[in-house]
Amino acid sequence: MSFTHLHAATAFSAHYGVSWPEEMAQAAAADGADALACTDRDGLYGTVKHLRACMDAGIDPIVGVDLAVLGEPDDAGVRPVTGRVVVLARGRRRGAGYRALCRLISDAHAGTSPSAARKDSKPVGVTMAQLASRAADDGGGDAEPLLTVLVGPHSDVGAAMRSRSYAVARTLFRRWQESMPRAALAVEVVAHLSAPGSNLSLAHAVRMLRLADEMQLPAILTNAVRYVDADGAATADVLDAARALTSMGRLPDLQPNGQGWLKSAAQMTSLAREISREAGYGTAGASRMLRDTEALADACRMDPVQDMGFKQPVVPEASVIGINTEPMTELVARCEAGIGRRFPAQDPAAEARLRNRLTHELGIIERLGFASYFLTVAEVSAMITGMGVRAAARGSGASSLVNYLLGISHVNPLAHDLIFERFLSRDRSTLPDIDIDVESAQRHNVYHRIFERFGAERVTLMSMQNGYRARGAVRDAGMALGLADEDIGAVAKQLWRFSARKFREALAEKPELRDIAERVQGNRQLDLLVDLTERLDRLPRHISMHPCGVILGDTSLLDRTPVQPSGLGLPMSQFDKHDMDPMGMLKLDVLGVRMQSAMAYALQEVRRLHPTKEDTVRAGAHPAGPAGQGPDYVLADGSIDLDAVPLDDPATYDLICSTYTLGCFQIESPGQRELIGKMAPREFNDLIIDISLFRPGPMKSDMVRPFLEHRHGWAPEVYPHEALRPVLAETHGVTVFHEQVLRTFDVFTGCGLAKADELRRLLGNEDAEPSVEDFFRTEAAKRGYGAGVIDKVWGTLKAFGSFGFCKAHGAAFAVPTYQSAWLKTHHPEAFLAGIFEHDPGMYPRRLLVAEARRMGIPILPLDINRSGAQYRVERVPAVPATPGHPARPEKLGIRLSLAGIYGLSAAELRRITAGQPYDSLADLRARARVGRGTLMRLASLGAFDSLARDTGTGASRADLLHHLDTAPPRPAPRKYDPIPGQLALPLGDTELENLRPELPEPTLREKVRTELDLLSVDVSAHLIDSYGPLLAELGVTKARDLIGLRNGSEVLVAGIRVATQTPPMRGGRRVVFISLDDGTGCVDCTFFTEAQEKTGPLLFGTELMLIRGLTRRTGERGMSLQALEAWNLADTASLPLPRPQRGRLVGPNSSG
Amino acid sequence: MGVFSEAVEVVCSPAGQPLRLIWSGRTYKVAADPVRWYERRNWWDEEARAERGRGPGLVDSEIWRVQARLTPRSPLRTLDLSHDIRSGRWRVVRIHDALRESA
Repeated sequence: MSFTHLHAATAFSAHYGVSWPEEMAQAAAADGADALACTDRDGLYGTVKHLRACMDAGIDPIVGVDLAVLGEPDDAGVRPVTGRVVVLARGRRRGAGYRALCRLISDAHAGTSPSAARKDSKPVGVTMAQLASRAADDGGGDAEPLLTVLVGPHSDVGAAMRSRSYAVARTLFRRWQESMPRAALAVEVVAHLSAPGSNLSLAHAVRMLRLADEMQLPAILTNAVRYVDADGAATADVLDAARALTSMGRLPDLQPNGQGWLKSAAQMTSLAREISREAGYGTAGASRMLRDTEALADACRMDPVQDMGFKQPVVPEASVIGINTEPMTELVARCEAGIGRRFPAQDPAAEARLRNRLTHELGIIERLGFASYFLTVAEVSAMITGMGVRAAARGSGASSLVNYLLGISHVNPLAHDLIFERFLSRDRSTLPDIDIDVESAQRHNVYHRIFERFGAERVTLMSMQNGYRARGAVRDAGMALGLADEDIGAVAKQLWRFSARKFREALAEKPELRDIAERVQGNRQLDLLVDLTERLDRLPRHISMHPCGVILGDTSLLDRTPVQPSGLGLPMSQFDKHDMDPMGMLKLDVLGVRMQSAMAYALQEVRRLHPTKEDTVRAGAHPAGPAGQGPDYVLADGSIDLDAVPLDDPATYDLICSTYTLGCFQIESPGQRELIGKMAPREFNDLIIDISLFRPGPMKSDMVRPFLEHRHGWAPEVYPHEALRPVLAETHGVTVFHEQVLRTFDVFTGCGLAKADELRRLLGNEDAEPSVEDFFRTEAAKRGYGAGVIDKVWGTLKAFGSFGFCKAHGAAFAVPTYQSAWLKTHHPEAFLAGIFEHDPGMYPRRLLVAEARRMGIPILPLDINRSGAQYRVERVPAVPATPGHPARPEKLGIRLSLAGIYGLSAAELRRITAGQPYDSLADLRARARVGRGTLMRLASLGAFDSLARDTGTGASRADLLHHLDTAPPRPAPRKYDPIPGQLALPLGDTELENLRPELPEPTLREKVRTELDLLSVDVSAHLIDSYGPLLAELGVTKARDLIGLRNGSEVLVAGIRVATQTPPMRGGRRVVFISLDDGTGCVDCTFFTEAQEKTGPLLFGTELMLIRGLTRRTGERGMSLQALEAWNLADTASLPLPRPQRGRLVGPNSSG
Repeated sequence: MGVFSEAVEVVCSPAGQPLRLIWSGRTYKVAADPVRWYERRNWWDEEARAERGRGPGLVDSEIWRVQARLTPRSPLRTLDLSHDIRSGRWRVVRIHDALRESA
């Protein structure tokens, strides 16, 4: 006999459920069940995974939710939670049950706060009236309901029953009966066999069973499941504590015991007998309860296709985007128009190639019926561009000529040999992904416009699941155990990119965890902490707005997904990216890219500084162009059309080859700087290859070294077979791109590119790969390839196929890479101002400031009248020659922004910038109404230096600070405010003028410290400069001098850590890259196992480092360090200072 | 009611229900139908490890409340027995009439 569990939470019930849908479905199927429900708390978070898991396990999915019920409003108008019920969707109703469930859940979330932590917000839940209205069939009357509500032990009725308040329980239940359709109601009976008197005890279940009997309603037996087996109970305790933000010891409502697992049919049957016997109904009562449970299960079996639209793509109606003709006809017409725009003049051969490709693509699109999809994406893309926002398609969408012609992508697929089938083929029925990168600062505006354009009923944001990772898991496990915050913090700080599941293993292996490992030994609580951390690994914590996914559908969208508020104020689906395909949802990735914002800002600065074409051409050293007036991409008003800049500028490639690429998109990381140093890209295709090579797969499998050897001609190119020469020539015989894998399949088997892409997707899949191999070998042999060649080529496909890179991705990425390098080459001040403003890269802003300093670009200090809310490029006037100082021409510098000051509120910032300029401190106080704290911060950063200079006072910055600190600012009474239109008398700043010079000016080191504290940027000088004497004594080598050393020299370097990376490496041994900045450049240090051992906890925890290592030449322009040992520079006592020698101590004169 | 813990030997029916206890060298016969439940343990205070895959018995223990007597004429004593699922061992955890007896 089988049993169907109708109340089961999965791990996707955040901070509640323990087990994954796959585990649950498999366990149920293994026990002989033919259906299983998923009733996550508050939503359908795990439902689609449950659907797939059930289909895989060969059982029927049942879909429901565990929801709070809200009672009558209290005096403050807030509806309190009265309890929780399970709501199940009726199946086989052409989706009506599922639709009602989706809408009900959206009701529950309507008006709630996106952050669950907000105590004062409306709780997630529904009223009885809402339940009743959603449960009733649309048709009304006596028809079968669409939903079934299980009133169980956690409901208001159940709570009353637990405390034996029978009369109260009956009254409460009558209210349920009065408001709900009778057929939509059932009583849930749960027995966890807890101690007598506690929740879910046998007696509690008995009372619920008797209630059902009395009311003549079906009694449904469930086990209120939270974990697949008994082992999960402890994890559930930890999750309960984490949810309540307290320790297990202090949690008043821990589960009564650990019996809430997916019990077997035999166990459930015996439970039914025990409850029924105790209730006095005997075995007949037990059979009736089990029969009723199975009957309800049958009524709720979902047909994934009929009920939930499984795998049926839905796109917006063509009419929404203003198309009233057949979408395909419209698409063809728009492509024709695109040809005129993108390919104004073509030779006949190219024209034929273009036509062939277009016919091919349109044929596939027509066959799949995706015309409206392409038109929809084109509509969004045109809308974004129309907003004046920089946008670029990324990903495999760049493989499509149709996308290029519609203006969705900006890479010509024909020019780069990109294959359409990598994007879409007749064998793929799922909607393809098109990703659009937009300026990050404009992303939210873009979202709002999409909602306006398509209507709120057709659009919702996609969500993402945030799971526990090592640090969060340690923190919550520690809290659950009741450990002290500082103890937890000490452990959490040392955790670095390993999965929490392997905590114990990591303790044994990782040198930086040595201290913790020692403390764990013999400390019971820390030992438990390790176990509990492992238990929490990967469990979902909460959902949040996905950084880029927008779901577009037709008017049925909100019948197919529940939505809840997001932080952005727009509704967010409860489904994540894995749910899109199964649910037939069209997801558009509109990704905010900070680099696009930084470049947009740079372009705006160029236009502001150079109002004519002539100015811009001169400032950027741009070529004279066709008419000698400058190139066409510089417009008459001095602005630059960045997307029109040709991709072949030699100066830009010079900059890239120099490896001074900090700030450039994709190529600024230590590893990338090493790679471009070795590779020396000279053209756009090189950049595509570079970006595609710098991936975990190629790096791990040693593709890079042979590629470089062939590229530089150090080793002859090798092709496994001549037939592959055309396929692999651009990468010198090394397989780098998916496109090459596809063509290799096609050449050897003649399978066609569409099938080739299907085969590629199966590579690396343990179950499917053997059949791919069989096919490949058989077909290749038929075509006469020798066994040796087949072996070799298969080996390559097997090794590279699963992780090679899509060339279309690389091509789409390489465009902003090139554009950013081009801007850095020609307009470095504007470019860096954009970088400071939008902070797009992996490095702290202070490193980019150091880069500006290195490039000789003046960093202009904060100034109350010149600094604005943004980093602005400013002209620094020429300085005529004076004795001892040569003349200096006019330069462009970057003025620091007030927005970077720690503790300055947005409102203060607005008031300050609105009132600029100020003629005195009093003026600033009166008009910008800034507090003393802000005044002091501004003063300590030197923002009043120029005001003070104008008064001619000899007082120092310290004097001013002292004055501000002692004299409380007393603003003049309101009556002295200037009336509108009255001009303030320019009195000058008497306050500053009268300051008496008493204190010395702060030292450079003090100023730098202040700047780091308040701006996180060292402006006046590099932080490391103040360590100058110490570094000299240590004999430290500067970053810029490394390149002149012999390979393998032992040196000491010192600097501020700017990056730490642990890329995956061949052989699985971890390598740690640490980059130090010393003001003259970056030193990239590689720590292998032994150096990691020696460095121990300093490896990840130290900011200022001293490293001893061996120089390692990485290319013509590249020199890195293989680290041997490291110290904390701030811990002077530990440093390897040279021992004072006797001769030195007595001074030079007395020696000899 | 006394609270302590003392090992006891228990003879069970095939269904796992206690029939007789051998406690302090004397054999008690279980008189009425015993009551069984699963009682929470504050495992984080008591256990040294809670590793994944440890199995049942960490969060709760099986408790049987039995009424037993030495001979048909001796008084019924009510005892709570804890059954460790993993080791199969039994312990007396509560004697409900201890106070009355000692008075």
